[in-house]
Amino acid sequence: MKSSIIKRFKRDRIYLLLLVPLLLYYALFRYAPMFGIAVSFLDYNLFKGFWASDWVGLKHYNMFINNPDAWNIIRNTLVLGGLKLLFLYPAPIILAILFHEMRWKKYRRFVQTVSYMPFFLSSVVVSSILIMLLSPSTGWINQLIVSLGFEPIYFLQQSEWFRPIYIGSDIWQHVGFGTIIYLAALSSIDPQLYEAAKIDGAGRWKQTLHVTLPGIVPAMVIVFILQIGGILELSFDKAFLLGNTATLETSDIISTYVYRIGILGGSFSYAAAIDLSMAVISFLFIYSANKVSRRVGETSLW
Amino acid sequence: MKNAKFAFLAVICMVLLLAACSNSNNNTKPASTPSKTDQPAATPDDSSNEQPKASDKPALPEPATIRLFTENSTAWPVKPDWGVWKWIKEETNITIEPVLATGPESLALAISSGDMPDVLSVFPGDVQKYGPQGAFIDLAQHLDQMPNVKAYLDSKPDVKERVLSPTGEMFSILNDGAGEGSQTVWMYREDIFKKHNLAEPKTWDDLYATAKKLKELYPDSYPFAFRHGLNTLNFIGPSFGIYPEMHPDAKDPSKMKYGLQDPAAKTMVGMLNKFLEEGLIPPDWLTMDYKAWAQFMTTNKSFIAVQFIGQIEIINSQLAEGTLKFMVPPIGAGDQPYLAKSGFENYGLAVSSTTKNLDASLRYLDYIFSAKGRDIQSWGKEGETYTVEGGKRKFNANYKEANDLRVQSGIQTAGTYGWFDFEAWLALVKEEEQASYREAPKYRLNVSNILPVLTTEEAATVSVLNDQIWKFWTGEVTKFIFGDRDMSEWETFVKELDKYDIATIQSTYQTALDRLLANTK
Repeated sequence: MKSSIIKRFKRDRIYLLLLVPLLLYYALFRYAPMFGIAVSFLDYNLFKGFWASDWVGLKHYNMFINNPDAWNIIRNTLVLGGLKLLFLYPAPIILAILFHEMRWKKYRRFVQTVSYMPFFLSSVVVSSILIMLLSPSTGWINQLIVSLGFEPIYFLQQSEWFRPIYIGSDIWQHVGFGTIIYLAALSSIDPQLYEAAKIDGAGRWKQTLHVTLPGIVPAMVIVFILQIGGILELSFDKAFLLGNTATLETSDIISTYVYRIGILGGSFSYAAAIDLSMAVISFLFIYSANKVSRRVGETSLW
Repeated sequence: MKNAKFAFLAVICMVLLLAACSNSNNNTKPASTPSKTDQPAATPDDSSNEQPKASDKPALPEPATIRLFTENSTAWPVKPDWGVWKWIKEETNITIEPVLATGPESLALAISSGDMPDVLSVFPGDVQKYGPQGAFIDLAQHLDQMPNVKAYLDSKPDVKERVLSPTGEMFSILNDGAGEGSQTVWMYREDIFKKHNLAEPKTWDDLYATAKKLKELYPDSYPFAFRHGLNTLNFIGPSFGIYPEMHPDAKDPSKMKYGLQDPAAKTMVGMLNKFLEEGLIPPDWLTMDYKAWAQFMTTNKSFIAVQFIGQIEIINSQLAEGTLKFMVPPIGAGDQPYLAKSGFENYGLAVSSTTKNLDASLRYLDYIFSAKGRDIQSWGKEGETYTVEGGKRKFNANYKEANDLRVQSGIQTAGTYGWFDFEAWLALVKEEEQASYREAPKYRLNVSNILPVLTTEEAATVSVLNDQIWKFWTGEVTKFIFGDRDMSEWETFVKELDKYDIATIQSTYQTALDRLLANTK
């Protein structure tokens, strides 16, 4: 038995060798920095570094829990993340099925390409476009509203508008790119299934319901589990750029708070403690979603 | 056979890759060592080879190289052939190697890397954070080596006040002289006012009446425009005798006060609310950026503004017709017109505590704060950058506007000067635009909103409290201005402020202020 492992090792040595750079990458850039989480248990001194800083245990964690703003910030993050999952998750599935049903290949390819483009714009650009478009004095959207005879709406100054704007622009930005994984899944559906369904008398709608959708369920489950983990990982830049003092009630999320306190205020340890607690919660989300999906269906991450 | 070839190729690739990696790893370390090995090697024959001019001048100190951490501005990218570097070399025999900050995190990275540049351009906030942690040397210990710095600090008590740490150390020296460019002032469209026979508003009530008239004359205009969102309160606050947050009291500068608790704050916020409701300021005042503001100003949609002083000239050059002019700040409370206390600089210089070129670093600081260094680093050299005509200095024709000094020669860029001669900058500002720079200093409030330096423990006490109260007041004041909360509730709001532990914050800063006043007596 032992000799067979050595033999297999010898036989596959080239392939194993090819694995080395990737392992090195993960060790150096993914696992080594994880020791940084220790910062959250220290009174970190940037100059003295890791080893010379004082150990303070859970001080920073307690500080966050006892902060009266903490609940509001966590709630904002969860609500925004939840809404994002609710709207951003199904959008690419619907779009991908629509693409799939489209018969005019050239037009389809053109629309697909166009829908990918916003993905490559940075949030900074998207945010400044939004600020310009939504301005109540010079923005096109409000000029349209006014020309239709309504009062202009101060979108960015009203906290109830922050979430729709954030989610809406996120859909615009990511929906096209998100279809790629589903289109790949769709193309792997056996055409014979459609033929069989047609012979059985299924129309287009029934085919979609009973052939197309079940065909992409595994992809849907995987994407869902991945996105569940990302609920708390909202992009900092967009919340920071679109938010302002009028909308702090809804726009102050964990990442913007960490930025203010940790980066601007220089409390690295405190910021690390908040981030680490969020990472733990994210992990719990993924873990339970995976468990549920393994019990209910046969697809799971691990 | 084929397989073996592939295997061989793969192995070669791997080895090359690893070699490349380890090579670059090795490179980073020796990069700092040459400066070390340079010094002993820099014997007289070195300087005589490279510096034939050195022999003309008496006794230049021995050559040295220091690394200078400085800002990376896209508007004036640092160039190796800038005059400022050359003049430093000529005067002090020090070669400067600029190390550029690529972002706000660069300084933290430089400090934690263990390989800090020798001299660093730093902001006071950074100094307060990293000085007590041991990143910078205490310059107070070395003042005898820097007689010019000492003289500079003695002549500038307000600068000295701001650089002393609570425990008496001096982790940085603040620049001075160029801050005149970063003050915010009031400005108005002189031609429009004249055309309609309107006088410069003396008080906020006048301002309201004037804006109202302008709105009648130009219905789709927003007569008064600013673009710093809520931060604008720091610029218009002084006309009511306050800043919105914690600051030394203008009436008694030895006492800290929280501006929003002053009754004048209600008048100020109430005014803005009235202005907004009647369309006298743009509805998106909170989110307007520079571009939007400039658009309003240049298309006759706004006629009064609070902005950086240099914008007067910039907008004037874009206006098809008409002129923007400095305006005396309107009085909101009391009987004197006030602007924010300004004209000071926020950039300073610190020396790394791990530097191996301490003597050269100190020598560099002493040079840029000396009278000669001040003159050369502000003006350049006669014949090279300017000529003297009729006893007056005139910059060469290649400098068309003041900013060209930065772009072409690095003059007035971070770290290249200590004590700037602002006359050099003014020499390239148009004659008619210079008046505002001479007028503005007359109206400065006696206190600034710069907070006294806290000890590390004090800072830890208030950092979270500060964020909480900031979040509360900015949210509420924004609501008041938009009218989402009625002004009649202002007193309730002031009471609510107390819930945010304002007493602790105030007493913490009061302790710091008392200590500062005692230290600088």
